[in-house]
Amino acid sequence: MDLTFSDAEAQFRDELRAWFENNDPGPMPEGEDASYAWRRDWQRRLADDRYAAVHWPEQYGGRGATITQSAIFFEELGRARRPLPANVLGILLAGPTIMTFGTDEQKDRYLAPILTAEEIWCQGFSEPDAGSDLAALKTRAVRDPAHPDEWVVTGQKVWTSGAQHSKWCMLVARTDFDAPKHKGLTYFLMDMEQPGVQVRPLVQITGEPEFNELFIEGARIPDENVLGGVGNGWKVALTTLMNERSGLAFFLQVRLRQLLDELIEEAAERGLLDDPVVADKLGYLHMKAEILRLTAYRGLTTIEKYGTPGPEGSLTKWMWSETNQELAQFAADLIGPDALTNGNRWAYELLRSRGNTIEGGTTEILKNIVAERVLGLPRLKGAA
Amino acid sequence: MNFDFSEDQHEIKRTARDLLASRSSFAKVREAAESHTYDPALWSELVELGWPGIAIAEEHGGQGLGAVELAILCEELGYALAASPFLSTVLAAEAIGAGGSVEQQRQWLPGLASGEITGALGAVGGLVGDAAEAAVIVLIGDDGVARVVARADADVTEVDAIDPTRRAARVYAPPTHGEALGGDDPQAGIDRATIAVAAELVGVSQRALEMTLAYVKDRKQFDTPVGAYQAVSHKCAQMLKDTEGARSATYYGAWAADAGADGPGLPEPASLAKAAASDGARDTAANAIQAHGGIGFTWEADVHWLYKRAQVDAALLGTSGVHRKRLAALVSARLAPAVA
Repeated sequence: MDLTFSDAEAQFRDELRAWFENNDPGPMPEGEDASYAWRRDWQRRLADDRYAAVHWPEQYGGRGATITQSAIFFEELGRARRPLPANVLGILLAGPTIMTFGTDEQKDRYLAPILTAEEIWCQGFSEPDAGSDLAALKTRAVRDPAHPDEWVVTGQKVWTSGAQHSKWCMLVARTDFDAPKHKGLTYFLMDMEQPGVQVRPLVQITGEPEFNELFIEGARIPDENVLGGVGNGWKVALTTLMNERSGLAFFLQVRLRQLLDELIEEAAERGLLDDPVVADKLGYLHMKAEILRLTAYRGLTTIEKYGTPGPEGSLTKWMWSETNQELAQFAADLIGPDALTNGNRWAYELLRSRGNTIEGGTTEILKNIVAERVLGLPRLKGAA
Repeated sequence: MNFDFSEDQHEIKRTARDLLASRSSFAKVREAAESHTYDPALWSELVELGWPGIAIAEEHGGQGLGAVELAILCEELGYALAASPFLSTVLAAEAIGAGGSVEQQRQWLPGLASGEITGALGAVGGLVGDAAEAAVIVLIGDDGVARVVARADADVTEVDAIDPTRRAARVYAPPTHGEALGGDDPQAGIDRATIAVAAELVGVSQRALEMTLAYVKDRKQFDTPVGAYQAVSHKCAQMLKDTEGARSATYYGAWAADAGADGPGLPEPASLAKAAASDGARDTAANAIQAHGGIGFTWEADVHWLYKRAQVDAALLGTSGVHRKRLAALVSARLAPAVA
C-alpha cells in the first residue's frame, strides 16, 4: 500500500501545474453565449497541447494517459480553478463510444473536431416518459421508403445539456417495434443543424438554461451515421453511460474540497469556529470529503490493478452528490440571509446542488445498481 | 499510487479470516458472552501465531510489521467478533511502542509481544477494555496526558458494559502512580491505537453487511425475497457505502502511520478513521437489526453482538464527535493559521 504518486505521476502533475499556471483564460465573461465561446477557446488551448482529452490515445490527439494520470488531470484542472472544456460530453462520452464502436470512416470524421471544440456534442438518451428506463424509449427511426439508406426520426428528448451549442447528438431511437424492448434500439449520430430538429431551453432552478428539450420531427439520418449496428443501441448506450460515471469524479471532488475550505475560512472570519455545533459540522463535512477522495483513489487502484471497477467505484458519485448538498445547506445555515440573495455564490450552490442527486443517474438508480450488481440482491420484477 | 494490500498482506487477511471462522464462530462468541469468560484456547492460538506482537519491533520480540498488518488483524477479529484481550493488548503496545520511552518499551513490549502479559488503554473514568487482567494500563488523563501504569498501581473496577463479548472496567490511578508516556511524540502512540480501533469497527461493519445480505436474500415475504424490495435493498446499499467509506479512511490511517514523515502525519488520518469507522459501524449494525426485522431484535439472533461491539468500540479513544471537532481544528489551523 502506497498512497504517494509514482515519480512519473508526480512529474505529470508538475507538468500540468506549470501548464495551467502559464495558461490562464482570464475571467469568464457574462452571458450564456459569451461564456460558452470563452470555454470553446479554452478547450482549443487545451487541445493545442494535447490536454483536451489526456485519456484518448495519442493517435487521436490525446496522451494515452492511464486512468490515474487522467484522474490527476482532472484534479489539477479543478485545483487551478480552470473550467471543464466546452465539449465535455464529446470528450468523455461521444469520443470514447465512437472509438469503441465506430467504423474507420466514423473515427476519421468525428474525433478530431470533438477535441478542438469545433463540433460540440450532446446526448439524446432521456425522454419525458422514459427517465432511467432506456427500454421505454419512444423516439422512432424508420427507413425512408424513397431513400432506403436514410432514416427518418420522430420523437422528443429532454434534459439535453448543451443542445443549443451542439452540432451532433448521440441519439438512441427505436428502430424495431416488434423486438423485445431493449433489442429494438439503435444508436445514431444525428446532425442537429437540420430542419426537423428543434431545441427549446429548459430554465432550471437556478434561473439558468443549462439543458434543453429536443423536439425531433422528420429529421433525417443517413445509414453511415448508425453507430455499432442497427438494433445494437442498448449495448452502445451502456458503453456511453459507463464512461459517464468514471471521468468527472476527481474534478468534482477537488471542487467540493475548495468549497469546503472556503466555508471553513468564512466560518473562521466570522469567529464561528469555536461554536461546537459549527466545529462538529465542519469536521463532519471534512470527513465526508476525505472519504470521497480516498474511496475514489481506492477505485483507481482497483481498475489499474484488476481491470474492472470494484464496489467502491459505484459509490463515489453518490458520496459526492450527497456531501455537496449537505455542504451547500450548511453554508446557508452558517451564513444566514446573506447566502439567500440572488448572485451570492452560496445561494447558487444551494440551488444548483439539488440537481446533483438527479443528474447522471439519480441516487435511487445508483442504489439499485449497487444492490443488484455489487451486492447481488435479487431484482424486483419490472424495476429498473 | 497503490491503494491496495500487498500480496503478503492479502495472505495475512485470508489466513486470519479462515482461522477465525473455525476458532471464533458466533456459537463460540455466544458461549463466551453468556459465560463472561474468554476462551483460553483461542488466546493461546493467537499468541502462538505471534499476532499480539505483529506491529511490535523485532528488538522487543515482535514481528516488526506495520500498522497496516495490525489493521488487517484487527479488522478480522472484529469481523469474527472474537472474544479475546487482543485489541486491548495491541492498543497498549501501540501506545508504548510509538509513544513510550525506550525504558518503557523495554519494560513492557516483550511481554505484550509474547502474550505473556496483556495490556489495556483508555481514558480515566471511561470504559477501558480488559483492564482487570492487564499487567499494564496506559491511562489517558483528563488533561490528555497518557501515563503508563502497572495494574497493581491502578484502581480497577470491572463494569458490566453492553458488549458482553469483552471485559470492560473503569480505571483510576492517583497522579503519583505510573509515569507519563516518555517518547518524543506520545500522541503518535494514541493515534496509532485509535486507528487499530477503527479497523476493528470496519470488520464489525463488514460482518453486519454480509449477515444482512445473506438474510434478505433468503427471507421471503409475498413470495419475494425481501432484499428485492427497495426499502430493504437501498438500506443494504447504504450499508455498503458506510462500510467502504470507513474502510477507505481506516486503511489510509494505517498507511499514514507506516509512512511516518513521508506521509500526511497522524493526527488528521487517525481522527478521520475513527470518526468514519465509528459512525459507519454503528449505522451499519443498526441497519442490520432493522433489515432482520423482529428476529434481529431478539437475543437468539446474533446481530445484536455486532451492534453492541460497534457501540462500545465507537466510544473508545474518543467518540465521533470528539474526532470531528479535532478534525475541524486541524483543518482550520492548516487553512488559516493566523485566524485560528
